[in-house]
Amino acid sequence: MKKAVFLLMLIVFFSCKKETPVVADSIVKTDTNLALYGNWVGDFVVVDSDSLADETDFMYTNKINLVIKKIEKNKVYGQSIVAGNSRPLLGEITMVNGKPCFILKEPGDRKDDGRFEFAFFNDTIEGKWLVNNKKYPVWERKFKLTKQVFKYNPKLMLPEDGDYIDWFSGRTDSIAPPDEEAQYSEVFRSASDIITKLNASTTLLNESDLKNLKKLELEIIRNTIFARHGYTFKKKSFRQFFDPVDWYIPVTDDMSGKLTLIEQKNIVLLNRFQKYAEDNYDSFGR
Amino acid sequence: MNPFLKEYKKILWQLCFAWFFILMLTITLKYSSFDSNVAFLQIKQTEVNSIPPYLFIFYMHVCSGIFSLLAGFTQFNNRILTNKKGVHKVMGKLYVVIVLLLAAPSGFFIGLFANGGLYAKISFVVLAVLWFYFTLKAFLEIKKRNILMHKKWMLRSFALAFSAITLRLWKVILVYLFHPAPMDVYQVIAWLGWVPNLLVIEYYIFKTQNK
Repeated sequence: MKKAVFLLMLIVFFSCKKETPVVADSIVKTDTNLALYGNWVGDFVVVDSDSLADETDFMYTNKINLVIKKIEKNKVYGQSIVAGNSRPLLGEITMVNGKPCFILKEPGDRKDDGRFEFAFFNDTIEGKWLVNNKKYPVWERKFKLTKQVFKYNPKLMLPEDGDYIDWFSGRTDSIAPPDEEAQYSEVFRSASDIITKLNASTTLLNESDLKNLKKLELEIIRNTIFARHGYTFKKKSFRQFFDPVDWYIPVTDDMSGKLTLIEQKNIVLLNRFQKYAEDNYDSFGR
Repeated sequence: MNPFLKEYKKILWQLCFAWFFILMLTITLKYSSFDSNVAFLQIKQTEVNSIPPYLFIFYMHVCSGIFSLLAGFTQFNNRILTNKKGVHKVMGKLYVVIVLLLAAPSGFFIGLFANGGLYAKISFVVLAVLWFYFTLKAFLEIKKRNILMHKKWMLRSFALAFSAITLRLWKVILVYLFHPAPMDVYQVIAWLGWVPNLLVIEYYIFKTQNK
């Protein structure tokens, strides 16, 4: 008898679950907001900052992806993905002069949290971000974003016309004497065009492919795998190569379960070579 | 030359050699785990996995090579040569056995799979053959009690053994100056490591002969 009651309950439970498509009707009703949903991507530029702060503490421009996920009545759910941070957003939409205006807040439990205020114009969203806590060096950023669709494409490559110079982890020992103009090409590491040719997402690499690569090149080839998956980079020395690339959209700070088998194998190999390059490139040894 | 200055110069050379010997020893000790994926082997996994004897012969080279450098401390020291002939003989026999049976043949084998392409491979293989030949010659000469010829061949032999140090030193210098790609520098040091050593020692032999 007990079993029968349990079975009955199970049936009732599952039949309830099946009813969920009815709830979906309410989402269909918000069709008017569909044009607002998606990835809004563009530059996130400093307007106001702590004048006493060290300017190397932050980047003047980062690529941001402001995701509008769902609008229910006037409640808005979103996500901001920028510079290695993926923060959930919650806020409201109001109509001002017939234009949708948003105020979306980051959770507020971190010192770099703030709020986004922006308006929707035709095919762009435009507005500003204000920090909650002015102890954080950047106080205000502005942005003008366009909608982009993210789709993982393993064939994407860094553009061939780029200059791939690492401006952030340059060697401090300048080769030129202090009174002469510094020779930047010598001081800063640069990557050869191999990084625009070697695709670690589509081809299984072997040792001979990587032997002649420098640490920076190995690093960029590995990070290009992550960039294709829309990974947002915490290190500015990594972002500098991907933020300017048209196809690159930061969509996540979590790579778990996203990498293909080829990519996983290549990353193991690339990491091994990178470690070897770090330990041995300029030291006494092979 | 002032005998005091001459002595001073010798001590300086010995200290210099001791310093590089310690560096070589630290490189050797990186392999003390006998791991198949450590230090230089990190970029040699293709060979480790596809050529069965590679790992064993590689370790044979690493373990024996360091002992061949020990000769640098004793064998060219005049005081030992004249007063402690026993030490010279023991160390000499050790050097000959190490080079002829272990270090040179293993160097030849791993040279066949060297990084840096065909020219680098040729360099390491030729180096191994010459090292073997010079050492054998020196050994045969002393068996005939021909000290002068023994000395000449041993100087040549040790000039090649010393390439273990000069090769790595050139690498540091070239990387510091030009930041080349790793295998570009490797192709250069493969030759730069031992050819100038041999030229210098030939010049030295020529000079001392005509004194």
